[in-house]
Amino acid sequence: QDGLDLGQMPRPVGLAAASAQDAQPPCDPGNCSPDNMRLTVNGIPNSTALRARWALPVGVIVHPMADEARGRTVPLINLGGAGIVRCRKCRTYMNPFVQWTDSGRRFRCNVCGMLNEIPVEYFCNLDQNGRRRDLDDRPELSQGTVEYVAPAEYMVRPPQPPVYFFVIDVTYAAISSGALTSISKAIKSSLDELPGDERTMIGFITFDSSLHFYNLKAGLAQPQMLVVPEIDEPFVPLPDDLLVNLAESRSVVDALLDALPGNFANTNVTDSATGPALQAAFMVMAHLGGKMLVFQTAVPSLGIGKIKVGRENPNLYNTEKEATLRCPDDAFYKRFAAECSRVQIGVDLFTFGGSYMDLASLAAIPRYTSGEVYYYPGFVSMRDEIKLMKEVHHNLTRPTAWEAVMRVRCSRGLKIATFHGHFHNRSSDLLALPICDPDKSFAVQIAHEENIVPGPVAFVQCALLYTSSNGERRIRVHTLAVPVVNDLSDLYNGADAAALICITAKMAVEKVLLSKLEETRQMVQSKLVALFKEFRILNASSLRQSNKLIYPPNLRLLPLWTLGLLRCGALRGGAKDVSPDERMALIHWVMEAGIPELCRLLYPTLYPVHDPADPWGLPDAQNKVQLPLPAPASLPLLSEDGVYVVDNGRVLLLWVGRRVAREWVMEVFGNDLQVLDPSQLSVEPSRGTPLSDRLNRVLTCLRSGRPLYQQVYVVRQGSPQEVQMMPFLVEDRMPATSSYADFLLALHKAVMSK
Amino acid sequence: MDFSQLEDTDGIRMTWNIWPTSKVEATKCVIPFAAIYSPTKRLPNMPVVTYEPVPCKQCNAFLNPYARVDFFSKVWTCPLCMCRNHFPPQYQGVNENNLPAELYPSYCTIEYTLNRTVPPHPPVYLFVIDTCLPEDELAACKTAVMQAISTLPEYVHVGLITFGRHVHVYELGFTECSKVYVFRGAKEFTTQQIVEQLGARAAPQRPGPNGAPVGASPRRFLMPLGEAEFTLTTALEELQKDAYPVGSLQRPLRCTGTALQVATALLGSALPLGNCQARIIAIVGGACTEGQGMVVGSELTEQIRSHKDLAKDAAPYFRKSKKFYESIANELVQHGHTLDVFTCSLDQIGLAEMREAVLVTGGLVVQADTYNNPIFKESLKRFFYKDGEEGFLGITSNATLEVIPSKDIKVAGMLGSAARMEKKSPNIADTEIGVGGTTMWKICGMDTESSFAVAFEITGNSGSGAESQAQASMSGMAAPQLFLQFVTKYLHWTGELRCRVTTVTRRWVDGTNAAELISGFDQEAAAVFMARLASHKMEQEEEFDATRWLDRALIRLASRFGDFRKDDPASFNLRPELSFYPQFMFNLRRSQFVQVFGNSPDETACFRLLLFRVPVPDAMVMIQPQLTAYHFNGPPEPVLLDVQSILPERILLMDAYFYVVIFHGQTMAAWKKAGYHLQQEHAAFAQLLQAPQEEAKDILMRRFPLPRLVDCDYQGSQARFLLVKLNPSSTHASTMPTSAEVINTDDVSLATFTEHLKRLAVQS
Ligand SMILES: [Zn+2]
Ligand SMILES: [Zn+2]
Repeated sequence: QDGLDLGQMPRPVGLAAASAQDAQPPCDPGNCSPDNMRLTVNGIPNSTALRARWALPVGVIVHPMADEARGRTVPLINLGGAGIVRCRKCRTYMNPFVQWTDSGRRFRCNVCGMLNEIPVEYFCNLDQNGRRRDLDDRPELSQGTVEYVAPAEYMVRPPQPPVYFFVIDVTYAAISSGALTSISKAIKSSLDELPGDERTMIGFITFDSSLHFYNLKAGLAQPQMLVVPEIDEPFVPLPDDLLVNLAESRSVVDALLDALPGNFANTNVTDSATGPALQAAFMVMAHLGGKMLVFQTAVPSLGIGKIKVGRENPNLYNTEKEATLRCPDDAFYKRFAAECSRVQIGVDLFTFGGSYMDLASLAAIPRYTSGEVYYYPGFVSMRDEIKLMKEVHHNLTRPTAWEAVMRVRCSRGLKIATFHGHFHNRSSDLLALPICDPDKSFAVQIAHEENIVPGPVAFVQCALLYTSSNGERRIRVHTLAVPVVNDLSDLYNGADAAALICITAKMAVEKVLLSKLEETRQMVQSKLVALFKEFRILNASSLRQSNKLIYPPNLRLLPLWTLGLLRCGALRGGAKDVSPDERMALIHWVMEAGIPELCRLLYPTLYPVHDPADPWGLPDAQNKVQLPLPAPASLPLLSEDGVYVVDNGRVLLLWVGRRVAREWVMEVFGNDLQVLDPSQLSVEPSRGTPLSDRLNRVLTCLRSGRPLYQQVYVVRQGSPQEVQMMPFLVEDRMPATSSYADFLLALHKAVMSK
Repeated sequence: MDFSQLEDTDGIRMTWNIWPTSKVEATKCVIPFAAIYSPTKRLPNMPVVTYEPVPCKQCNAFLNPYARVDFFSKVWTCPLCMCRNHFPPQYQGVNENNLPAELYPSYCTIEYTLNRTVPPHPPVYLFVIDTCLPEDELAACKTAVMQAISTLPEYVHVGLITFGRHVHVYELGFTECSKVYVFRGAKEFTTQQIVEQLGARAAPQRPGPNGAPVGASPRRFLMPLGEAEFTLTTALEELQKDAYPVGSLQRPLRCTGTALQVATALLGSALPLGNCQARIIAIVGGACTEGQGMVVGSELTEQIRSHKDLAKDAAPYFRKSKKFYESIANELVQHGHTLDVFTCSLDQIGLAEMREAVLVTGGLVVQADTYNNPIFKESLKRFFYKDGEEGFLGITSNATLEVIPSKDIKVAGMLGSAARMEKKSPNIADTEIGVGGTTMWKICGMDTESSFAVAFEITGNSGSGAESQAQASMSGMAAPQLFLQFVTKYLHWTGELRCRVTTVTRRWVDGTNAAELISGFDQEAAAVFMARLASHKMEQEEEFDATRWLDRALIRLASRFGDFRKDDPASFNLRPELSFYPQFMFNLRRSQFVQVFGNSPDETACFRLLLFRVPVPDAMVMIQPQLTAYHFNGPPEPVLLDVQSILPERILLMDAYFYVVIFHGQTMAAWKKAGYHLQQEHAAFAQLLQAPQEEAKDILMRRFPLPRLVDCDYQGSQARFLLVKLNPSSTHASTMPTSAEVINTDDVSLATFTEHLKRLAVQS
């Protein structure tokens, strides 16, 4: 092939897989972990001129609560009355990079250069190296991630208790699918583990063509249901007791959750007043804020925000109006989201519809309120209940930060140009996050404010001010230093492919909300081309004769991940290729996903699990389950006598080759595949055989700690279901996208062209 | 003439029992020609037959004892229109010795049980309960309601609506948990909206998601008590005070009007038309301050309207609220449903505004100061007494009352708890008295006491009197008689459809002979009719001066029928048939019906509603209370309603209908205080003390609603209840007090009043 060695196409497989997404080591031991803030390039171009030659974003992937996700404890600092020390001018928090002067009486801010006096209480002598003697006692002086207990001046009101308010569709669709039963079970099973000790508050609204409120006053033998049929001007029918203390009203809440499915068992209402229900829930919880969890099965058909007939119009693809399909149809949704953000409500959306339900509109609310979108198309409780239960449980019980704001600062000459993620931008650099949790990540682009950035080091600091579940106001501060570089090759050397694809993906899905799919894909591709072209120019002297595609060493996987991005459901094809709701769900997911989640989505990991001789599924020396070495995501490269677990972070597929060993099948499925109903093939729970045990351990290991519960679907080679696996086999050609090889060829051609 | 005996046979009293044939003479009679009729009064001798009545083909009157019957040709002549009618086939066997009941001379009132095509729907009671109450009041209310419900038979249907700031409609058919539909108190709804939002009416079928037809079945808000008892009693037990906070300087937000509108809409949509007794039983503890029907704002600094404000048109909510309740009244009447109001509040609740809705639907009203008052508790219990229990009200429903007069008589209108119906008839008078323009009224609900005053107009000219006389003699009648037939079709409490027919006849005279006319004058009936008419005019006509109007009528009456020499007051003399009438008027002028300023508009509304319901003897007690003296010198005796009746060694018992006063004279009070009645040697005193108590208890037992009992002593503060009703023959202004008791009043005494009357009556 012209300039392309197909055998050498870079892939995160085999032994290389383990380190494929790793971040570069921090440039300074005082930096926060890359899990918290990870630069797309470990180097800041020192001038706008240099910056202009770098095709991709310079920025940071911010994951403010990554420590919780990884089970790490953040040092907690309580300065009591002394107050938190910050730069007087730019409000940067004390960090390991400030410079101490005047025998420790003053420090120079590393971000803005301001010379600051320090409070007497914070004074400490310096040692001979100019370092404070109390360095080891004050984590903020040496560690990139610390957390402060915030004093009263960081509060506009007393810290609010955790609030969980459930808004549940109870139309015919919700009953017949079993969704309501599953939802009730899921919530009930999580109640014991809700964060917030004795302060946690809870409330419910159900709705169909009317709104149903529930009086959960402690001491009632059973909840009282208050039906408000008025949906044009919904109102709250009780002043209190609709949002109650969970501990005090626990028995009433349990009674309600037990009774809910029965209460509506005979319903025949198909209309759903979603907008009014949201408004009503808002009115009930606005004084506290908190989490609003909306469970929607039917198409919103009544009241404000109802979905108009003909909204799903495939003819709009490839026209100027294409993007309107991915934006809220009614101004209500954005307005409502802004209102929620204002009063510290974060909205999570669980959707169960069997047909189009306009997630483009509905998902706008979580988008601006740092909420989640869960998508269970055509929910059937038999099949999907476990997924719902696990995901609701994860959502409700994960560590949660309340009424938060986040600010990212960077040092002189630089500015934060753009934020990507789910939030409401309250002022230029302040993000309102009614809810934050370990599953949320953001991306920021750093731009040059001045032509020249004074070197040699630049700084980025992220501060998350929030209320903890136990009612303390906290500030989490992440700080990092990054070298300022003056050579383009330093940028290529410092490039972080995984972080780059992450920020690129977020930029792409953001663009796709405003422009055509095709335009977005071209934007993504052209940046890749520009990046490779510039690299080729950079290395022109040494490669003059070579006609080969040359990869910047750190960016070898970038083309593959870019291909994965182009063919993932958020960006792939058009009207026929991906259902509009699924596309919106994926867009939402990409926007909030962290680097590992995204890489997994863009290039799913294929774990071969057919060879009993490999140690997969067995514990290693540290008693951790060993995973098999990943295989390429390409059907022709799969072995016909193999079995692969395909993991894209959203589902797990078990691909079973045509000629897999009978023993393997018998051990895992308990029978020959030929005698089993294909739809009933299940590898869970373990059959107790060694292979079945090992396979289940692998599945458990893959699922652990992830926000989504991945169900396992068995796909037999050659079966009709195999088609559904095609999007995951990123390297193979699909109707709307090219194969990896073709993609690289095209890239190469573009790079070589003048 | 013994009018009360006539009342006992036919349930009817007439202001005049001898009528002048000419319009001119009739006008000179001053007091309108009217009948006060109790359509479901219990008449011990009245037959109830199980066949349909036979109508006259011309005037639709039913065959009655006054019909002239030709047994040979099987023809009867209608006494009302003189039309000849053939007997229906089933009457072929009729002869002198085989008469149907309606031809028996003594059966002028007869009741028919009519055939019905649909089985009756059981009675429906929709409780509408105020929850803006202090805890103890709410508890008393709940207890009373639950107790009342526990006496109901299982087949009656019940519903529950509570209200405070919002309206809660309980879906009693929903058993999984307590479920209420909430309507915002402050919002203005249309009936259509309410019905749709409740889903109380079955929606048309449409294909469901799975292809099978679905139609929202009506939600069950009204349920047989047997099925709903658990849900209902649980709901009542768990009923909480309205949860909205109330500032210390504020009234609670209470949307009584919206609640009643929702109740009205619910009954209207959920029940078959005209086929069941359905009543809204509203139990209200305070003023409506929210939404439609609001009578006062929520700030306590704002005072609720008084009669003074109404007179000055300074009650900002009054007209709007009244209009709103009129629309509710219309809707209730359309469906034949009734609104009963129990008020338990020291303050007004807005009954004056609601009045129309209660009046035209035949509702009952009970006014008490607190839910703990026996007036409320006992009245609520009594309301549900069953046939056979003493004190049973005998509530019937869905009635129409039609009046058919004979020639030269037109129907002028009605004063009573009924609503006008569209009915074209040649018998409608040109001038309206009360609710006229028809000869038929709808009575949504009534009890055995309910009495309706129907006014007539005599349209004959002097010539036609002779004419009718000639006609009468030609047709072989002994004397010229007028006829009135009252036809009441109603739903009996047993569920039967009944039709009661009362046919009365009276004598025509030419009317020039005043003595002859006045011998048929029923001064009690006349006083009661005038009281109703004066009240009606005070409600309807702005600037109406009732005192002046009554006085002028009295003077004209006295001058027409009194015996005197012109301009000689001393010669003035009234015949016995008229002799009490001035005193009745004297007391009516001073009564709560005319002198409204001592009472609140709500109280006035309540008094007038009752005046419009009760028969003549009860109304007389309202107008002129009965005073009985108890003493050692003999059995209790009626005494003059005069301050001079107060004596130290007397106990007085005054029955003023709305309240009963036991008053201990100075000595009696002192002995009682000393506890003599507890000593054995003073058993006679103990007996004397006890006697009026027993009598009062008797009165309380037989009256609905229960009157208030005032037990007071000489110079006690409660004694004002007695004094206000007594003739102030001795006042602080008298130069020579004639009684130990002096009434602090500027009212004239009866003597002065009579002197004035004489003087004015004899003026030429
Ligand atoms: Zn600074
Ligand atoms: Zn006739």
